[in-house]
Amino acid sequence: MTPVVELDRASKWFDDVVAVSEVSFSLGPGVTALLGPNGAGKSTVLRLVCGLASPSQGQVRIFGGDPRADHRLYRRVGLVPQQQALFDGMTALRFVSLTASLHGVTAPGATAAEALRVVELDPGDERGLETYSKGMRQRVKVAQALVHDPDLLVLDEPLDGLDPRQRARLIGLFRRLGEQGRCVLVSSHVLEEVERWGSRVLVLAQGRLVAEGDFHAIRDLMEDRPRRIRLRSDRPQALGAELLAAGAVAGVTVTGPDAVVVDTVDGAAFGRMVAPAARAAGARLLEVVPLDDDLESVFRYLVGR
Amino acid sequence: MALLWRTLVGASAGRGRLAGLAGLGVVAVLLGANLGAEAAGGSPDQGADLVSAYGLSLLVPVVTLVFASSVLGDPSEDGTLVYLWLQPVPRWQLVLTALGAALTLALPLTVVPLGLAAAATGSGLGLVTATVVSCTLGVVAYAGVFAWLGLRVRRALLWGVLYVLVWEGFVARAGDTVALLALRTSTRSVLAHLSATTAAGAESSLLVSVAILLLAGAGGFALAVRRLTRHEVA
Repeated sequence: MTPVVELDRASKWFDDVVAVSEVSFSLGPGVTALLGPNGAGKSTVLRLVCGLASPSQGQVRIFGGDPRADHRLYRRVGLVPQQQALFDGMTALRFVSLTASLHGVTAPGATAAEALRVVELDPGDERGLETYSKGMRQRVKVAQALVHDPDLLVLDEPLDGLDPRQRARLIGLFRRLGEQGRCVLVSSHVLEEVERWGSRVLVLAQGRLVAEGDFHAIRDLMEDRPRRIRLRSDRPQALGAELLAAGAVAGVTVTGPDAVVVDTVDGAAFGRMVAPAARAAGARLLEVVPLDDDLESVFRYLVGR
Repeated sequence: MALLWRTLVGASAGRGRLAGLAGLGVVAVLLGANLGAEAAGGSPDQGADLVSAYGLSLLVPVVTLVFASSVLGDPSEDGTLVYLWLQPVPRWQLVLTALGAALTLALPLTVVPLGLAAAATGSGLGLVTATVVSCTLGVVAYAGVFAWLGLRVRRALLWGVLYVLVWEGFVARAGDTVALLALRTSTRSVLAHLSATTAAGAESSLLVSVAILLLAGAGGFALAVRRLTRHEVA
């Protein structure tokens, strides 16, 4: 069966800046999250998938065809781009109707109105798009991406600017579309957000695909990585010594009268051993704070593996 | 495509922009009326001079530049081009619709005031007809070229103004060969032939001048289609 999206060693560079380097993956139906820190090349990958940019090297195919060469493929593609600009002066209904009309949707006005209702916007709103809040504009973009019922939905940070209720609603919507057999490719730099997609994950860092697979496998990989952790205790030296003796940490630095910073080699093992070690040292464990639990450090680890 | 055409017309037709360019047209009519008042039943040469110097050298290229360069250039720069580019529509249809939108705005703002100005000079129906035809051909030619320019370069308006003022205004006067590369030469030639005047200067035959203008418009259209097809959309 032909994959919906297929990248084969696709690279993209701008002058001497490499945005994407030899990325290969293929996607079928279901939700796939493209995860990576800002500047990792997520938007460039999505632009390549949609044919908005041509690869400097390698191949990009959707539905078996070249999206740069065959505009008919766009009949099956919906995109929520990252940029906020819309046609100011237009109403939301007219904007979404434009896409519906150019895609040959029968009854474009009625279909556009329905798409707007799906994202909880009023099709009868006569205000121009320039008066809309960031969250409303985001929902208009989602409506125009959905209006022609595409088989491939490409979403570049689609939850940006939305309130928690709208986020939950759209995540549910995209998950349903994935379950119905659409290919949904969504980018995000928020780990917790990606967890909620409950999907396959592609991790991109510094333009390279550094991990790929089920979200839980990626999550475990992240859990198991080395970490630097600050412990607060009434007996920091004894606690550090016990952790070293137990082999739970690779290094210990006492940083204050009630604080010690430890370097773990295995985050999950440390989690299991810290409480028994405190008990053995006769120390009260007051606080455990990971110092490098942000996404950036996760990505740095994955890149360095 | 009608909705796309309406969208592009709406996006290009800011009130300030329309008012400013309409003002330039009003100036043309006033100049024509003034000439007609000064020399009642004035000579066609004087009227043709006015149409050539103000209309074909300034109003037609500038008004067309504003609309044609922005109709796809502005969406390209502000990021809305993505909503046009991702439609399952042949690229030539997108460019043709965009050109249609630019012509919809540029033609009334040039042909009408210049036609009225020609009429106001009192030089007769011949000059009015010649003005309408030469203006229309000029707008078509410039629209193709400037639509391509809008996709090709950033700040297309600035580059277009430089072309109109520096290239057509000065460099093209340096010699006959260079003059052929200025669309103004051909619009003036059409005006001179059709109005049977000498003031505008008939550098080449009517047929050649018309052909050059139509080819320029078609060539610009073809280049714009090629450019849009290869465009890297932000």
